Amino acid sequence: MKILTTAKKVVDVELTIHVENGAIVKDGLQYVINAWDENAVEACVQLKEKNGVDTTLVSLGSGDNTDMIRKCYAMGIDNAIHIDDPALENADSFVFAKVLQKVYEAGDYDLIITGKQAQDTDSGQTGIILAEFLGLPCVSNVIAIEVIDDGKIKVSRLGDLGTEILEVTLPAVITVSDGINEPRLPAMRGIMMAKKKKIQVMDLEALGTSYDEVGGGALKSEVAAFMESEKRQGGQKFEGDAAEITANVVGLLVNEAKVF
Amino acid sequence: MAKVLVIADIKQGELKGSTAELLSKARAIGAETAVVAIGSNIESLAKDLADAGSDTQYIADDESLALFSAGPYASCVVDAARQSNANLIWFGFSEGGKAMAPRVAAQLEAACATEITDVVLEADQITVTRPAIANKVIQKVKINTERLVAVVRAGAFEAAEGLSGTRNVVKLTAPEADLKAVIKELISDAGGEIDLADADIVISVGRGARDQSGVDLVKDLAHDLSAGFGSSRAMVDSGLMAHNKQVGQTGKIVAPALYMAIGISGAIQHLAGMNGSKTILAVNKDPEAPIFNVADYGIVGDLFEVVPILKEEINKIRG
Ligand SMILES: Cc1cc2nc3c(=O)[nH]c(=O)nc-3n(C[C@H](O)[C@H](O)[C@H](O)COP(=O)(O)OP(=O)(O)OC[C@H]3O[C@@H](n4cnc5c(N)ncnc54)[C@H](O)[C@@H]3O)c2cc1C
Ligand SMILES: Nc1ncnc2c1ncn2[C@@H]1O[C@H](COP(=O)(O)O)[C@@H](O)[C@H]1O
Repeated sequence: MKILTTAKKVVDVELTIHVENGAIVKDGLQYVINAWDENAVEACVQLKEKNGVDTTLVSLGSGDNTDMIRKCYAMGIDNAIHIDDPALENADSFVFAKVLQKVYEAGDYDLIITGKQAQDTDSGQTGIILAEFLGLPCVSNVIAIEVIDDGKIKVSRLGDLGTEILEVTLPAVITVSDGINEPRLPAMRGIMMAKKKKIQVMDLEALGTSYDEVGGGALKSEVAAFMESEKRQGGQKFEGDAAEITANVVGLLVNEAKVF
Repeated sequence: MAKVLVIADIKQGELKGSTAELLSKARAIGAETAVVAIGSNIESLAKDLADAGSDTQYIADDESLALFSAGPYASCVVDAARQSNANLIWFGFSEGGKAMAPRVAAQLEAACATEITDVVLEADQITVTRPAIANKVIQKVKINTERLVAVVRAGAFEAAEGLSGTRNVVKLTAPEADLKAVIKELISDAGGEIDLADADIVISVGRGARDQSGVDLVKDLAHDLSAGFGSSRAMVDSGLMAHNKQVGQTGKIVAPALYMAIGISGAIQHLAGMNGSKTILAVNKDPEAPIFNVADYGIVGDLFEVVPILKEEINKIRG
């Protein structure tokens, strides 16, 4: 069985992000693997350990992705592809999904595992759109994957009424939630081996497609401007005798906030 | 003229609040309104759907639709979108909505935007506002297609008073089942609990509660106040709280009148799920905890001491 998994390099959300003139100030930003993609990679590696599957990672974007990919290698991924093309700079989810479609079609994969959302877009669309493009079944927000046989997997997803358990025919697309696993810290041996591994880097043309074919020239949506989010102001903080301050706060909830 | 199709949020046969909120917004922008309801034994909802402010009600009522299945459900939405010729297709915030919206958009070749907090129509240009990067920035997104499929963030729109619509039911034929992703079982969340999405008060417990005794203490307060009972991820990871209780960027997004964060540090991923709440109360023993930067009222103290007092004081007031 062959699994394709996706990883996006995203801005580190733990750091402060400044906006100026409608754009994010790039100076001082740091980039990391998208947290949910780390879960996707971990899920792949666990399937590899349990079921002996072959794992390929793909990342789309322009610029250097080496550190991120090496990290995934160190976690246990077998092969990695980086589609490096300036045309992907302002891409929307449909464009990314189109490029992923091309990557999928160039291989012979049984399963695609993506993160449920990218931390920079918070969109949660790419994997689901990819499945639509490919005409494959798709389950999103997945917290468990189990291989039944070569043609079937069992997955659990968090739905509105509880945990839904589904049987899915392969090939399929799964998007994972962070609840699926705790990504491993790569061991030293893995880190050393990762340094030696090759990364297959190619542009859209090498992938057999073009800017126009993936919809780069006809984005369905584009970010016109970024703004600082409104910061909530902290209010009143009380320290001291628990009974006294608690009674005080309850009084404020009643008289000031009028919630009771 | 704008035509809005709202996907009714139905849980266990009941219409959820988001439906009226979205229809109110549609009315406020002067749009024609339609609603699509999907499920089994839901025909009796037609009146509620009209009363919520819709002019047309598309209803897909079939036994095969009893359990959520993204494929067939999305097909019903696409069908209603085509029949109504809606250019704005809105889901309320739910896991189902998040699973369906990109499918519907792909099938309609429409743009897709999730977690939107506003939508503006000027001439033929649609623009939406939405938070991104764990709420650290706000994006203004220009929609380049005629149609937009969107998931509206919890608490973004308010339900107007005294809306009414006209009853005009259109029945949809049930689509074929998805034989490639078959739901085998639904492990239902503990029945009878208050839905986090709809609760006026949400009380969440964090790692500060330590163990089951701490969880029970906070749960007891939630029970007393008929509040939704939520959690930080740390408590989900430790197995003390169920996955579906997680509030945050990757869990539930809530915007209640009162949110209580008990023993929660206030990591940005948690804040992303609750900072739209009207009033926030935090209890934390660390005066420097980041949760105090967003809380309207902060109590610095040991939750094991504070929560029982909180309960007693509130009960006094509520009689
Ligand atoms: C991709 C990603 C997504 C995430 N999504 C979410 C999400 O959706 N929701 C979420 O919540 N987190 C999420 N997280 C995790 C988040 O970063 C934090 O780790 C988590 O919110 C911490 O939970 P906590 O506040 O309960 O625990 P901690 O950070 O450990 O805080 C515990 C707090 O309790 C206080 N405390 C301890 N003892 C007491 C006491 N006796 N009385 C009072 N206070 C006490 C401490 O001072 C401390 O502030 C996500 C992380 C990542 C990377
Ligand atoms: N540029 C990219 N490279 C690799 N994977 C991506 C890229 N963009 C999106 N994805 C995948 O799609 C998921 C959802 O992204 P989004 O729709 O932007 O929230 C991410 O978690 C990734 O797994």
